Amino acid sequence: MTITRTLRRSALAAVAVTAAVVMTACSSAGGGVSAGTGTGTINVWAHQGQDSENAALQAAVDGFNKSQGKVTAKLRLISGDTYTTTITSTPKNQLPDVLEIDGPTLASFVYNDKLAPLSDYVAKGTISNATPGSVAEGTSGGKLYGLAMYDSAMGLYGNKKLLDAAGVTHPTSFDSAWTPDQFAAALKALSAADPSGKALDLNESGLSGEWGTYGFAPLVQSAGGNLIKNGKSVGMLDSSASVKALADFATWKPYTDPNADGNAFVDGRVGVAWGGHWNYPVFSKALGSDLVVMPLPNMGQGAKAGAGSWTWGVGSGTKNGKAAGLFVDYLLNDKNVTAMTQANGAPPATKSAFTADTLYQTGGALALWGEQLAHACAADAITKDCLAVYRPVTAGYPTITSKFAGSLSAVWGGADPKKSLTSAANAIDQNFADNNGFK
Amino acid sequence: MASPVSTPMRTLIIARAPRRRRWRDTRDGVLMSLPAILGLVAFVAVPFIAAIVLSLYNVQVDQARAPKFWGLTNYARLFTDPVVSASFLRSLVNNFVFAIVVIPVQTGLALLLAVLLNRKLKGVRFFRTFFFMPVVFPMALVAVIWRLILDRSPSGLLNSAVGFVTGGSVPAHDWLGSAATALGSVILLSIWQGVGFQMVILLAALQEIPEERYEAARLDRANGWQQFVNVTAPGIRNTLIFVVLLTTILAFRVYDQVFILIRTAGANEGATQTLLYNATQAIYSENNLGRASSISVVLFLIIVIITLIQRRVLRQRSEG
Amino acid sequence: MSTTTLRRTVSTIRDYILMVVAALIMFAPIYYLLVGSLKPSAHVLDGFAGFLPTNLSFDNYVGVFHSLSSDATGYFWRFLFNSFAISAVVVIAGLVVNSMAGYAFARLEWVGRDKVFLLIVLLVIVPFESVAIPLMSLMQGQRDTLLVQMIPFIANAFSVFLFYTFFLNLPKSIEEAARIDGLGSWGTYVRIVVPNAKPVFATVAILTFLSSWGQYLWPSLVTSDPSARPLPLEMSVFSAQVPPDWGQVFAFGTLLVLPVLIVFLIFQRYFVQSVAGSAVKG
Repeated sequence: MTITRTLRRSALAAVAVTAAVVMTACSSAGGGVSAGTGTGTINVWAHQGQDSENAALQAAVDGFNKSQGKVTAKLRLISGDTYTTTITSTPKNQLPDVLEIDGPTLASFVYNDKLAPLSDYVAKGTISNATPGSVAEGTSGGKLYGLAMYDSAMGLYGNKKLLDAAGVTHPTSFDSAWTPDQFAAALKALSAADPSGKALDLNESGLSGEWGTYGFAPLVQSAGGNLIKNGKSVGMLDSSASVKALADFATWKPYTDPNADGNAFVDGRVGVAWGGHWNYPVFSKALGSDLVVMPLPNMGQGAKAGAGSWTWGVGSGTKNGKAAGLFVDYLLNDKNVTAMTQANGAPPATKSAFTADTLYQTGGALALWGEQLAHACAADAITKDCLAVYRPVTAGYPTITSKFAGSLSAVWGGADPKKSLTSAANAIDQNFADNNGFK
Repeated sequence: MASPVSTPMRTLIIARAPRRRRWRDTRDGVLMSLPAILGLVAFVAVPFIAAIVLSLYNVQVDQARAPKFWGLTNYARLFTDPVVSASFLRSLVNNFVFAIVVIPVQTGLALLLAVLLNRKLKGVRFFRTFFFMPVVFPMALVAVIWRLILDRSPSGLLNSAVGFVTGGSVPAHDWLGSAATALGSVILLSIWQGVGFQMVILLAALQEIPEERYEAARLDRANGWQQFVNVTAPGIRNTLIFVVLLTTILAFRVYDQVFILIRTAGANEGATQTLLYNATQAIYSENNLGRASSISVVLFLIIVIITLIQRRVLRQRSEG
Repeated sequence: MSTTTLRRTVSTIRDYILMVVAALIMFAPIYYLLVGSLKPSAHVLDGFAGFLPTNLSFDNYVGVFHSLSSDATGYFWRFLFNSFAISAVVVIAGLVVNSMAGYAFARLEWVGRDKVFLLIVLLVIVPFESVAIPLMSLMQGQRDTLLVQMIPFIANAFSVFLFYTFFLNLPKSIEEAARIDGLGSWGTYVRIVVPNAKPVFATVAILTFLSSWGQYLWPSLVTSDPSARPLPLEMSVFSAQVPPDWGQVFAFGTLLVLPVLIVFLIFQRYFVQSVAGSAVKG
C-alpha cells in the first residue's frame, strides 16, 4: 500500500517536473525585436572597467541624454569577471536594449538568439566608419551584430633601465622579435641582475580565464599551430607546433614573479611584463621614458599578438530597436570614442578616430602595437604578414577558451603539454559534435 | 547535515479519542506540517527528480533550441569517454583521497583535543573557544586567508616558516599550484576549519562516559593507554561512527574552498577538483546542464551508498 | 613530592603545553587576518613580518568602503544586509515551519502521517548540492533576488527530524493538562510545548544560522548582480580583483566574520551544545 502510493506520487511528480523542465530549458520563442517608436527609455549594460573608462562611458550616456530629448539611456555597470556569465544566464526577455559584449563571445550569443542584427537600426555611416577588425569581430553568420568603440593592443612591456643593466638587447620591431631561446636568455640575464631574482610578470593568476586565451593563444599561432580550424580542434591545438609553444612557455616559470601584490613591473622587481594597452597609463606614469614596448616572442612563424575587445550590440528582446540604434550611433562618434580611448589607452575601433590617435600612429609610444592592428587577421586566415590575430568567431568559443586556458594553466603548473592540449582538443571537438557544429 | 538513521516510527499508543477530536487532529496535523512538506517537495524532491530528468538530455541552461534526449549518454561519458571521464574520475579520486586523509587525521586531532579538554583542567573553556573558533568562519573566508598563507612567493607565511626552520635551504614552494602538494594544502585548511566541530561532538560523548568505569579500570591497574582502549573507545564508539560518517559525506560535498582556490588563487585544477567543482564547471564553461545534472545524481548515489555501508558494516549497537 | 603527584604534575604540564600549542595553531590564521586588516597592504604578504602589529590603522577599512562605492561593485552595507536578511528569514521562518511539522509528526495522529514522515526521512539524505544545479535551472526567472536565496532553505528535513525527536521525548503530562483545559493542538503547541522546547529551538537556530551565513554555492549560481549578493560570495569576488589589495581584503574578511564571531562568543555555550546535541540525536 505504501509502495504503490509512493510510486504513484513519484510518477505524478516526475511527469509534472519533466514538463516544467522541458519548458524552462527551452526559452520562450517569439517576442523578438521590434523597432519601436524611437522614443522612451532604453537600458544599457556595460562591463565595469577601470575608473577612467567608467567615467568616460557615463559621460557618453549623459551626453546622449542631453543631446536630444526623445530617448533617455540608463546605464548599468556589471563586474567584468562575471559579465559574460551574467549575460549567458539572463533569459533573453530580461536583456537590455543595448549591451556590451566581450568580442569573442558574440557568436555564441547570436547562436542563443540574444542579439539582434545591427544593420536595421544603426546608421550606415557608423558601419562604414568601423575598422575592418571591428566589423570582423562583430559579424556572425554573415550578419553584423556588434560594433566596437575600441580594439585592443598587447605585447611585451620592458623596463629599459633594467634591460640595459642586464646587458639585454631588446627588439624594437617585429623582425627583431625574440626567439624562444633569445627570450629565455634575456630572462635569465635579467633575473641574475635583479635582486628579486625574477624577470617576468605575466599575470599568472589570470591564466585560467580569458586572459590566458587572449594573451597566449598568439604564442601557439606564432608557432604555426592554432586553436581550431574548420570546426575541428584535434590536429591543430595538439599539433607539434602548438605543443612546442606551450612547452617553451612553461620554461619561463622560474623567472616569473607570482606578483601577488600586482606591482611587480611598476616597482621594478621585473624587467619585462606581458600586458596590453590597459596597463599603459599606469606603466607610463611609473616608468616614464624607461618604458619600452616590444612584440611578443616569435615562436617560429613570426610574432603574433592578440586583438579584439568589447563590442556593442542590441539585445534581441528590445522593444525599441530604433532608439537603441540611435544610442549606438552616438556612442561611436569621434568625440566619445576618443574620450574613451584617452581614458584607457586602447586603440580606437573607428577609422576616423584611429587615424587621429597619436598614441598608435607613427611616432607614438604604442606605434609598434598600432602597426599590429594595421596588419590584423581572423584566426582562420592567418598569413605570414599578419601580426594581430582575432580570436575565433564561433558559437563554440566558450568551450574553446575554457579548455585552452585550462590547458595553459595546467601546463604552467607542471602538466605535460601534449597530454593537456590533446585532452583540450578532444573536449572542444566533442562539444562541437554535441551541438551539431553550432549550425 | 545528513542524519544516518531512519528511526523506526515509534507507534504512539493513544487511547482512542472521540471522532471529532481525531478529525481535528487530522486537520491540524496536515495544516501544521503542510508548509514544511510543500517546501521540501518543491525545493528538494522536485529538483531531485529534475536532476534525473535533465541528466538524460543534452540540454543547456536557457537554451533556444529543443533539447535532445540522450538516455544514459551523460553517465556513460562520465565514466568512459576519454575527454570527459578524465577530469570526472580524477575528481572522484580527489574526493576519496580527501575522505581517506581527513577522516583519520581530523578525527584523530579532534579526539586528542576533546580528550585534553575533558581533563577538566583550569581554563578549559578558554581553550575550547580557540579550538572551536574556526568553525564559525565561512569557508570562503578561510580559503582567502589560507591562500595568502600558502602563497608561492618567499614572503608567503608558510614558505617563510619553512625557510626559517630549514635555514633557507629549502626554496619557496608553490603549495597550491604544484600537483604534489595542492590537495594536501586544501586538506590542511579544511581540517583547520572543521576540527573544532568534530571536537565538540566527541567531547560531549566523552563526557557521557561514567567516571566509575575509569575508576574500575584504575583499580585494575590499567595505565593511561589501556584506559583509553578499554573504557574511552568503546564509550564513544557510536558517536565516533557518526562523526566518521558525517565527515565522509562532507568530504564529497567539498566545493567552496576548491572553487575559490582554483579560479582565483592558481591552485592546481587537476589535483584539487572535486565532484561539485566539475558539476559547476560544466555549467560555467560549457553551459552543459545535462552533464552537471548527471554529476549531481552520481553524488547523491555515492552518499546513499556510503550511508548504507555505514549501517551495514558498522552496526550501531545501543549503549549497554 | 610523591611519585604519583610528580607524574600527575608532569602530565598536567604536558597537557597545558599541548593545548597552548594547539590554540596557537588554531588562532594563528585568525590573528593573521585581524592584524593584516590593520596593516598597510604591502606589509600583509610579507613573511613573518606579516604577524608583526606595526603601522596599525583603520585605513583598510575605510578603503573597503571606498572600493565598494558604486552600483557595479556593490555597497558593503548592501552585502551585509543581504546576508543578514537571508539568514534572519531562513532561521526564523525555518523555526516556525519545521517545528510545527516536527510537532505534527510527533504528537498528532492524522491520515497519511507515517508515509509522509517516511518521505521526510528519505529527503534528509539528499544533500543540497545534488539539487542545487537543477533547482537553479528551474528558478531562472527569479535570479538576483533575495527571495530565491531564502525560500528554498526554509523547510529543512534535518530540522524537522531534530524537532520530531525532541517532541517525542517531551513528557506527555504537559500536553494532557493542556487538553483537559480545552486547548486544541495549536493552542497546545504555542502555549505549552514551545516554551518547554528552548534547547531544540536554540540548536536548530544556531545550526541553521551557521549554514545560512556561510552559503556560497547557491548564491554563486543564482546571483550575478551585486545588489542581491551576500557577504561570502562577495569575499571571493573582492579578493580576486587585479591588482589585489590584501589589506582591504583582510579588512573585508574581518567585517564578514565579526557578526558571527561576536554571536559565537556571547552564545558560546549554546553553540557547543547545539553541535553536540545534533550529533547525539543523529
